[in-house]
Amino acid sequence: MDLSLEGLVPSRRTLLKSAALSLFAFQVAGCREMLTPGEAQRRGAALQVLTSEEASSLEAFGEVLVPGAREAGVAHYVDANLSRSIGDSLLTVRYLDVLPPHDVFYKDGLRALDAAASELAGRPFAALTAAEARPLVAALLPAKVAGWTGPPSPLFYLAVRSDAADLVYGTRAAFERMNIPYMAHIEPPTDW
Amino acid sequence: MKAQTHPGRTDAVIVGAGAAGNLFAAVLAEAGKSVLVLDSGPAWKTDDLYSSLIWSRRLRWGGAAVESTGTHAFGAGFNTGWGIGGAALHHYGTWPRLMPADFTMKSDHGRGLDWPIGYDDLRPFYDRIQEDVGMSGDAEAEVWRPAGAPYPLPPLQQFAQARLLSRGFEAMGMKTAPSPMAILSQDYKGRQACVYDGWCDAGCPTGALANPLVTYHPRAVKAGARFLTGAHVTRILRGRNARETAGVEYFNSNGETRTALARTVILAASTLFNPAILLNSAIDGWADGAGNSSGLVGRYFMTHSIAAAYGFFDNEVTENYMGVSGAQATNMDHYGKTSLGGGAFGSLQWQLAPAMKPNDLLGVAMARADLFGSELTAFMDRAVRHLAVMFGFGEGLPVLENRITLSKRKGTGSARSPKVVHAFPMESVRVWAKASELGLKVLKAGSASDPWTGPMATAHMMGGTIMGADPRASVTDSFGRCHDIPNLFIAGPGLFPTAGAMNPNFTNHALALRSAEHLLAS
Repeated sequence: MDLSLEGLVPSRRTLLKSAALSLFAFQVAGCREMLTPGEAQRRGAALQVLTSEEASSLEAFGEVLVPGAREAGVAHYVDANLSRSIGDSLLTVRYLDVLPPHDVFYKDGLRALDAAASELAGRPFAALTAAEARPLVAALLPAKVAGWTGPPSPLFYLAVRSDAADLVYGTRAAFERMNIPYMAHIEPPTDW
Repeated sequence: MKAQTHPGRTDAVIVGAGAAGNLFAAVLAEAGKSVLVLDSGPAWKTDDLYSSLIWSRRLRWGGAAVESTGTHAFGAGFNTGWGIGGAALHHYGTWPRLMPADFTMKSDHGRGLDWPIGYDDLRPFYDRIQEDVGMSGDAEAEVWRPAGAPYPLPPLQQFAQARLLSRGFEAMGMKTAPSPMAILSQDYKGRQACVYDGWCDAGCPTGALANPLVTYHPRAVKAGARFLTGAHVTRILRGRNARETAGVEYFNSNGETRTALARTVILAASTLFNPAILLNSAIDGWADGAGNSSGLVGRYFMTHSIAAAYGFFDNEVTENYMGVSGAQATNMDHYGKTSLGGGAFGSLQWQLAPAMKPNDLLGVAMARADLFGSELTAFMDRAVRHLAVMFGFGEGLPVLENRITLSKRKGTGSARSPKVVHAFPMESVRVWAKASELGLKVLKAGSASDPWTGPMATAHMMGGTIMGADPRASVTDSFGRCHDIPNLFIAGPGLFPTAGAMNPNFTNHALALRSAEHLLAS
């Protein structure tokens, strides 16, 4: 007997198309626009998962880790991916064996980071000076932040550092900036 | 929802469309058998494989979460695959053979396990597979290589990074050879030769690297095997008695329960999910899970430790962005189980000069995860042109306590997700530590600047459904046939009783070919 399996599941191409389209669809002043995360950040696009306070902390943290991450839109990049299913997420956290839901991982990590900053200087992380932020960030990877209450601080550090590195170092534009060849076989649907 | 059944019964239902699943499907379908392959992920095509390590994350497991824990937790997310091609879709094509001594550890050393077969049993299948898929290498230069046919293709091109790293080995009186690679150095059987762009980790869309989309999957499809994606298999079904399976239960992409009936079931759903499916199949007659009268389903999970050694060559551009993600050269001088001394026990394989992109887990930025801010910027400026790296793969011994079990977390349908518990025994930790020391010495001998080693990482997954001659001490026979359920086969590196220090996919292919032909013959 002949079983036709066509049409039982959406084709991968269909899924990809929708993923690529919606990953960079941001709401700006009530209008849906296709933007890079950097453009979304500059134009103040609405966030879907993170609060504005969380995005502010994430931008500040990402910028301390990898200079350029704020302008590249690290908070909007993470936010857009967290709004998708894990199967369509492009975040490194997907293969760092962090148990889902991943929005909780980021929110808890940012909350712990702000709590540590408040303990240190009485202000959230985004309001720290560079001199205040550096020793706090340096203590995350060796897990030496006293009273840390979020996900394991080394894991949180690595995840956000990787997100920021993706945007600052992992794109075609970044390769060109570093003067190394990109050599794509198949260009990714978007650069950012 | 009431379960529905595929009308009719296929000769074989295969769970998982990775390397072993596709090979089984091709062999069985070409012999005229009706074959249905179920896979939980998407139906990838080669033109989905974008040259971007950000996009490459889609190729990793995207289903119900795997829980990984233990003193040396296994990197499950990075090592697994999802969809047609499985983990082999993003694997690097580094294909060394296991050594004869890998099959006889227990007999030779009184520890670990023996395989029920020896190297000579597998050798003809290695030879046939390398001819099938097109392997590149220099068999004579690999002075450690066991007997076997020479590679059908000459070695891949090497770039500055490999030459610079090899210098250190030579200075220490050690030998290097081109890595044995399942990547085409020349056009072969209608596939194009590698162009060395270093994007293997994102999946090779040109067909130069032997991923299933260009090897056994098209053969299986052409021969009439049917593939159903978005199909999460949750358990195998009991047949007329406890020594027979009738097929599998799965959830389709709409979340509906379905069954697929078959005369033979082949579990090729990965080292992690094969045991999980068996353990989720606990019903009357299979109280501890299907095929688990030995109590060993999930036991003896193994992985390889990675000792990463880095250094700068400031006077030359290392071209680290070029080449292949696997390795350009290899050294196996310390493959002997006791050759490292100092209480280390297990084999070591060096892989030199993998291509590195600036981002991702194995990328340049992660080589110094402790750096951030302006120090990271300065490091990147130097490293993208002058960094070189080599990885020492250390053998993890088979330990009963390292296991795949079921998590308390809910998986698909009524099934529970796999949980991996792993800790290297002390002898294996010493292999990693000795490799790290040795790596530093090699780099210094080669005049690398500022050499350093990274923290321990893990790669590859083996064991959990080990083969053996004794049904009380193993899950399957040497062909992957389940001792308890003769019409149930298990495929994949989960069958390995020992891990060696070799990338497992070549052996995975050789075993699958041997098993599929045995199934046909029987």
